[in-house]
Amino acid sequence: MPQLVPFYFLNQITFAFILLIVMIYIFSKYILPRFVRLFNTRVFITKL
Amino acid sequence: MAAGRSAALKLDWTKISTSLGLKGQTATALQAFKKRNDDARRKVNLLSSQPQSVDFQHYRSTLNNTAVVDEIQGHFKAFKPATYDVGRQIKAIEAFEVQAVKSAEETKGRVDGELRELEKTLENIETARPFEDLTVDEVAAARPDIDSRTEQLVSKGRWHVPGYKEKFGDLSVL
Repeated sequence: MPQLVPFYFLNQITFAFILLIVMIYIFSKYILPRFVRLFNTRVFITKL
Repeated sequence: MAAGRSAALKLDWTKISTSLGLKGQTATALQAFKKRNDDARRKVNLLSSQPQSVDFQHYRSTLNNTAVVDEIQGHFKAFKPATYDVGRQIKAIEAFEVQAVKSAEETKGRVDGELRELEKTLENIETARPFEDLTVDEVAAARPDIDSRTEQLVSKGRWHVPGYKEKFGDLSVL
Protein backbone atom coordinates (compact mmCIF):
# COMPACT_ATOMS: atom_id res chain seq x y z
CA MET A 1 0.00 0.00 0.00
CA PRO A 2 1.46 3.38 -0.92
CA GLN A 3 0.33 4.97 2.33
CA LEU A 4 2.90 2.89 4.10
CA VAL A 5 5.79 4.39 2.19
CA PRO A 6 7.67 6.80 4.50
CA PHE A 7 6.92 10.53 3.84
CA TYR A 8 4.15 9.57 1.43
CA PHE A 9 1.68 12.21 2.75
CA LEU A 10 4.36 14.83 3.04
CA ASN A 11 5.19 14.15 -0.58
CA GLN A 12 1.50 14.51 -1.53
CA ILE A 13 1.16 17.82 0.30
CA THR A 14 4.35 19.22 -1.15
CA PHE A 15 3.47 18.42 -4.72
CA ALA A 16 -0.11 19.57 -4.26
CA PHE A 17 1.12 23.00 -3.17
CA ILE A 18 3.61 23.18 -5.97
CA LEU A 19 0.94 22.28 -8.50
CA LEU A 20 -1.44 24.86 -7.02
CA ILE A 21 1.15 27.60 -7.22
CA VAL A 22 2.10 26.73 -10.79
CA MET A 23 -1.55 26.64 -11.84
CA ILE A 24 -2.31 29.99 -10.24
CA TYR A 25 0.69 31.51 -11.97
CA ILE A 26 -0.17 30.14 -15.40
CA PHE A 27 -3.84 31.08 -15.14
CA SER A 28 -3.25 34.60 -13.94
CA LYS A 29 -0.42 35.26 -16.35
CA TYR A 30 -1.57 33.59 -19.56
CA ILE A 31 -5.04 32.15 -19.61
CA LEU A 32 -7.34 34.58 -17.79
CA PRO A 33 -5.84 37.76 -19.34
CA ARG A 34 -6.57 36.21 -22.70
CA PHE A 35 -10.24 36.03 -21.78
CA VAL A 36 -10.24 39.61 -20.53
CA ARG A 37 -8.69 40.66 -23.81
CA LEU A 38 -11.33 38.78 -25.77
CA PHE A 39 -14.13 40.39 -23.76
CA ASN A 40 -12.55 43.79 -24.20
CA THR A 41 -12.42 43.25 -27.95
CA ARG A 42 -16.03 42.15 -28.05
CA VAL A 43 -17.13 45.23 -26.13
CA PHE A 44 -15.06 47.40 -28.47
CA ILE A 45 -16.45 46.03 -31.73
CA THR A 46 -20.03 46.27 -30.50
CA LYS A 47 -19.42 49.93 -29.63
CA LEU A 48 -18.31 50.79 -33.19
CA MET B 1 -7.93 100.22 -73.73
CA ALA B 2 -10.35 99.18 -76.46
CA ALA B 3 -9.41 95.55 -76.00
CA GLY B 4 -9.97 95.84 -72.26
CA ARG B 5 -13.36 97.43 -72.74
CA SER B 6 -14.50 94.76 -75.17
CA ALA B 7 -13.30 92.04 -72.81
CA ALA B 8 -15.23 93.63 -69.95
CA LEU B 9 -18.33 93.78 -72.14
CA LYS B 10 -17.97 90.18 -73.19
CA LEU B 11 -17.80 88.99 -69.58
CA ASP B 12 -20.90 87.15 -68.42
CA TRP B 13 -20.92 88.00 -64.74
CA THR B 14 -23.78 85.78 -63.66
CA LYS B 15 -22.21 82.83 -65.39
CA ILE B 16 -18.87 83.25 -63.63
CA SER B 17 -20.13 82.78 -60.10
CA THR B 18 -22.43 79.90 -61.03
CA SER B 19 -20.10 77.97 -63.32
CA LEU B 20 -17.04 78.33 -61.09
CA GLY B 21 -19.06 77.59 -57.99
CA LEU B 22 -17.58 80.52 -56.11
CA LYS B 23 -18.52 80.96 -52.50
CA GLY B 24 -17.95 83.21 -49.51
CA GLN B 25 -15.21 85.79 -49.69
CA THR B 26 -14.40 85.22 -53.36
CA ALA B 27 -18.03 85.68 -54.42
CA THR B 28 -18.44 88.89 -52.43
CA ALA B 29 -15.14 90.23 -53.80
CA LEU B 30 -16.32 89.44 -57.31
CA GLN B 31 -19.65 91.16 -56.64
CA ALA B 32 -17.85 94.28 -55.40
CA PHE B 33 -15.60 94.27 -58.44
CA LYS B 34 -18.56 93.94 -60.77
CA LYS B 35 -20.26 96.87 -59.03
CA ARG B 36 -17.15 99.01 -59.45
CA ASN B 37 -16.97 98.06 -63.11
CA ASP B 38 -20.64 98.91 -63.66
CA ASP B 39 -20.30 102.24 -61.88
CA ALA B 40 -17.25 103.21 -63.91
CA ARG B 41 -18.94 102.26 -67.17
CA ARG B 42 -22.07 104.21 -66.30
CA LYS B 43 -19.96 107.26 -65.43
CA VAL B 44 -18.08 107.06 -68.73
CA ASN B 45 -21.33 106.79 -70.67
CA LEU B 46 -22.84 109.74 -68.80
CA LEU B 47 -19.80 111.94 -69.34
CA SER B 48 -19.31 111.08 -73.00
CA SER B 49 -22.97 111.85 -73.74
CA GLN B 50 -22.53 115.43 -72.50
CA PRO B 51 -21.44 118.13 -74.99
CA GLN B 52 -17.68 118.47 -75.22
CA SER B 53 -17.33 121.74 -77.14
CA VAL B 54 -18.01 125.31 -76.10
CA ASP B 55 -19.47 127.93 -78.41
CA PHE B 56 -17.13 130.83 -77.61
CA GLN B 57 -18.53 132.97 -80.44
CA HIS B 58 -21.91 133.00 -78.72
CA TYR B 59 -20.38 134.20 -75.44
CA ARG B 60 -18.27 136.82 -77.27
CA SER B 61 -21.34 138.27 -78.93
CA THR B 62 -23.45 138.32 -75.73
CA LEU B 63 -20.83 139.43 -73.16
CA ASN B 64 -19.33 142.92 -73.18
CA ASN B 65 -16.08 141.78 -71.54
CA THR B 66 -14.55 139.76 -74.36
CA ALA B 67 -11.18 139.58 -72.60
CA VAL B 68 -12.66 137.12 -70.12
CA VAL B 69 -13.94 134.98 -72.97
CA ASP B 70 -10.53 135.09 -74.65
CA GLU B 71 -8.83 134.04 -71.47
CA ILE B 72 -11.23 131.16 -70.89
CA GLN B 73 -10.82 130.08 -74.51
CA GLY B 74 -7.05 130.09 -74.05
CA HIS B 75 -7.38 127.95 -70.96
CA PHE B 76 -9.79 125.64 -72.76
CA LYS B 77 -7.39 125.15 -75.66
CA ALA B 78 -4.47 124.63 -73.32
CA PHE B 79 -6.37 122.06 -71.28
CA LYS B 80 -5.07 118.59 -71.57
CA PRO B 81 -6.72 115.69 -69.85
CA ALA B 82 -4.53 114.47 -67.03
CA THR B 83 -2.95 111.13 -67.80
CA TYR B 84 -2.65 108.61 -65.08
CA ASP B 85 0.25 106.27 -64.72
CA VAL B 86 -1.53 102.95 -64.39
CA GLY B 87 1.70 100.96 -64.49
CA ARG B 88 1.91 100.77 -60.73
CA GLN B 89 -1.66 99.62 -60.39
CA ILE B 90 -1.19 97.05 -63.11
CA LYS B 91 1.91 95.84 -61.32
CA ALA B 92 -0.05 95.56 -58.09
CA ILE B 93 -2.78 93.66 -59.90
CA GLU B 94 -0.23 91.30 -61.38
CA ALA B 95 1.33 90.73 -57.98
CA PHE B 96 -2.14 90.04 -56.61
CA GLU B 97 -2.80 87.64 -59.47
CA VAL B 98 0.41 85.76 -58.77
CA GLN B 99 -0.57 85.57 -55.11
CA ALA B 100 -4.08 84.42 -55.97
CA VAL B 101 -2.83 81.75 -58.37
CA LYS B 102 -0.36 80.56 -55.76
CA SER B 103 -2.99 80.31 -53.06
CA ALA B 104 -5.37 78.59 -55.48
CA GLU B 105 -2.72 76.01 -56.34
CA GLU B 106 -2.04 75.52 -52.66
CA THR B 107 -5.71 74.96 -51.99
CA LYS B 108 -5.88 72.58 -54.92
CA GLY B 109 -2.98 70.57 -53.53
CA ARG B 110 -4.59 70.44 -50.12
CA VAL B 111 -7.94 69.39 -51.54
CA ASP B 112 -6.27 66.74 -53.69
CA GLY B 113 -4.48 65.36 -50.65
CA GLU B 114 -7.73 65.28 -48.70
CA LEU B 115 -9.46 63.55 -51.59
CA ARG B 116 -6.76 60.89 -51.74
CA GLU B 117 -7.09 60.36 -48.01
CA LEU B 118 -10.86 60.03 -48.30
CA GLU B 119 -10.57 57.59 -51.16
CA LYS B 120 -8.19 55.52 -49.12
CA THR B 121 -10.65 55.54 -46.23
CA LEU B 122 -13.48 54.59 -48.58
CA GLU B 123 -11.46 51.72 -49.98
CA ASN B 124 -10.68 50.65 -46.45
CA ILE B 125 -14.35 50.62 -45.59
CA GLU B 126 -15.34 48.78 -48.74
CA THR B 127 -12.70 46.11 -48.41
CA ALA B 128 -13.19 45.64 -44.67
CA ARG B 129 -14.00 42.13 -43.63
CA PRO B 130 -17.08 41.41 -41.50
CA PHE B 131 -16.59 41.20 -37.73
CA GLU B 132 -17.16 37.47 -37.80
CA ASP B 133 -13.95 36.98 -39.76
CA LEU B 134 -11.77 39.12 -37.52
CA THR B 135 -9.51 37.69 -34.87
CA VAL B 136 -8.81 39.26 -31.50
CA ASP B 137 -5.18 39.81 -32.51
CA GLU B 138 -6.21 41.80 -35.59
CA VAL B 139 -8.60 44.02 -33.65
CA ALA B 140 -6.01 44.54 -30.93
CA ALA B 141 -3.39 45.40 -33.53
CA ALA B 142 -5.72 48.02 -34.98
CA ARG B 143 -6.57 49.41 -31.54
CA PRO B 144 -3.61 49.16 -29.14
CA ASP B 145 -5.73 50.64 -26.35
CA ILE B 146 -7.50 47.27 -26.02
CA ASP B 147 -4.25 45.70 -24.87
CA SER B 148 -3.42 48.57 -22.55
CA ARG B 149 -6.91 48.42 -21.03
CA THR B 150 -6.60 44.67 -20.54
CA GLU B 151 -3.27 45.12 -18.83
CA GLN B 152 -4.72 47.78 -16.58
CA LEU B 153 -7.68 45.61 -15.56
CA VAL B 154 -5.52 42.56 -14.94
CA SER B 155 -2.97 44.47 -12.90
CA LYS B 156 -5.80 45.70 -10.68
CA GLY B 157 -6.99 42.11 -10.26
CA ARG B 158 -10.25 42.69 -12.12
CA TRP B 159 -11.20 39.82 -14.35
CA HIS B 160 -14.49 41.29 -15.51
CA VAL B 161 -14.79 43.83 -18.29
CA PRO B 162 -17.26 46.55 -17.30
CA GLY B 163 -20.31 46.49 -19.54
CA TYR B 164 -19.64 43.00 -20.87
CA LYS B 165 -22.15 41.10 -18.77
CA GLU B 166 -24.93 43.57 -19.53
CA LYS B 167 -24.40 43.10 -23.25
CA PHE B 168 -23.53 39.45 -23.62
CA GLY B 169 -24.65 37.85 -20.33
CA ASP B 170 -22.74 34.98 -18.80
CA LEU B 171 -23.12 31.27 -18.17
CA SER B 172 -23.02 31.58 -14.41
CA VAL B 173 -25.84 29.68 -12.71
CA LEU B 174 -25.53 31.59 -9.48
